[in-house]
Amino acid sequence: MKCESCNKKLATVHLTEIIENEKKERHFCEDCAQNVTNHFPKAPSPSDILTSLINQVSPEIREMSKATCPVCGLSYLEFRSQGRLGCPMDYIVFKKGLLPLIERMHGSSQHVGKVPANAGAEIVKKNELIQLRKELNEAVERENYEKAAELRDKIYELSGNVEDGD
Amino acid sequence: MEIKDLSDNTGEWLRGTGKESDIVISSRIRLARNITGYPFLSRANLKQRKEVESLLRKTIIEHNIARDVSYVNLNQATAVDKLFLVERHLISKEHAEGEGERGVAFGKSETVSLMINEEDHLRIQVIRSGFELKNTWNTIDEIDNILGENLNFAFSSRFGFLTACPTNVGTGMRVSVMLHLPALGMTKHIEKVFNAVGKLGLVVRGLYGEGTKVSGDLYQISNQFALGKSEKEILSIIESVIPRITSYERMARKALVMESKDQLEDRIWRSYGMLKAARMITSEEILQLLSQVRMGVNLGLIEDIEIQTLNELFVLTLPAHLQKLQGCELDSAQRNVIRASYVRKRLEGL
Repeated sequence: MKCESCNKKLATVHLTEIIENEKKERHFCEDCAQNVTNHFPKAPSPSDILTSLINQVSPEIREMSKATCPVCGLSYLEFRSQGRLGCPMDYIVFKKGLLPLIERMHGSSQHVGKVPANAGAEIVKKNELIQLRKELNEAVERENYEKAAELRDKIYELSGNVEDGD
Repeated sequence: MEIKDLSDNTGEWLRGTGKESDIVISSRIRLARNITGYPFLSRANLKQRKEVESLLRKTIIEHNIARDVSYVNLNQATAVDKLFLVERHLISKEHAEGEGERGVAFGKSETVSLMINEEDHLRIQVIRSGFELKNTWNTIDEIDNILGENLNFAFSSRFGFLTACPTNVGTGMRVSVMLHLPALGMTKHIEKVFNAVGKLGLVVRGLYGEGTKVSGDLYQISNQFALGKSEKEILSIIESVIPRITSYERMARKALVMESKDQLEDRIWRSYGMLKAARMITSEEILQLLSQVRMGVNLGLIEDIEIQTLNELFVLTLPAHLQKLQGCELDSAQRNVIRASYVRKRLEGL
């Protein structure tokens, strides 16, 4: 059988396309097949990325392999194979295994955004401090010392009333 | 409201209004939230699932989260109805294909939609026509605040909003801007956009999100990371990237007009002719034809058709929409006939 695209070389790649429930057999030579399959760039989905990341952080796995969440009953190994957590508590129980994963995925492991509307004043303040410190670092990096001093004063003012650290 | 009442109109996000709406089809933001005291859905039993569904549904309705809210119980919806909601971007493919007690609440204009028991207990979505991230954020922020005052969202000050999948943890936010980039596709410069955007931690996807194929030259640009940057910072990254892509697309269009005007015009007018004359059109083909004609309107070649009509046809000619319109199930050959006749009717009526 000849390649249906160039009609010259022997067809060695056989594809089955299913469009709207209709099956269509297609036959290409090696070279043309490459063009056809490259035609549809498929970005890796977040779950693909997650799986590949999970597989990269193996040292933690040994240590975490026996961990099971007392609340939802999910084991760390189950999380590894499914990529989904079972309950909010898992973020604490599996913290050691999750941290490197989250770091690679997001480039950070510290939340700096919005806080729930009904969160206690302490949490609101704590996250505001985290955000201000981040801005302070950025200001120093950009050598914007005026802004940095302003941020430092704000941080002093806030942290006087709140217990520091995570 | 019944689903069939929706089938011959579309959501406001397809109106073709807003900034840069010649290239930017829509701006969408979604937030993932879970309720404390309940496991995430993969670990929830039937009773917990039901409780979460009913708690969220009642809170949404009681607080009038969107104007004229409709609620669809997806556990009882037919396959066509579910596909119909996916085509309208009111629910995700995963939500349609899921199991058990779950549903969606959406406002009459279809700008706001709240998916209950998707991958997380709650996914809030706001979608607007054109490049309108600020307005979109303001709307979703307000909804999130109202719900956050009345529900206890799972949150830690270290990791932010806690989600079933660690890819969403933190802000729980995903911003997606849908772009129509025919000239970058034709000139193959689209690869450069993919690479540049990837370096900024953004991803490019097809029309229906995760894992879907690019068709009709429609691309969605969204953020990959959700933690370590505030919502405003994530928005500003995307806010700064989009104008660069749209001006790149405009340059590519100009270059096409200068270098291969005849071929370009021929292609556009042929596509318009096909839409007005064809008797059978597949769903794949129509996306290509609409894409060409849409560019023709943007370039000022075609003047007797509105962008809104073309935007709407992208959705109204999808399989579940045609079946709803026709009021019965259709196989793909029947759909191709109905699709062609529907498009002819819409274009001749002008």
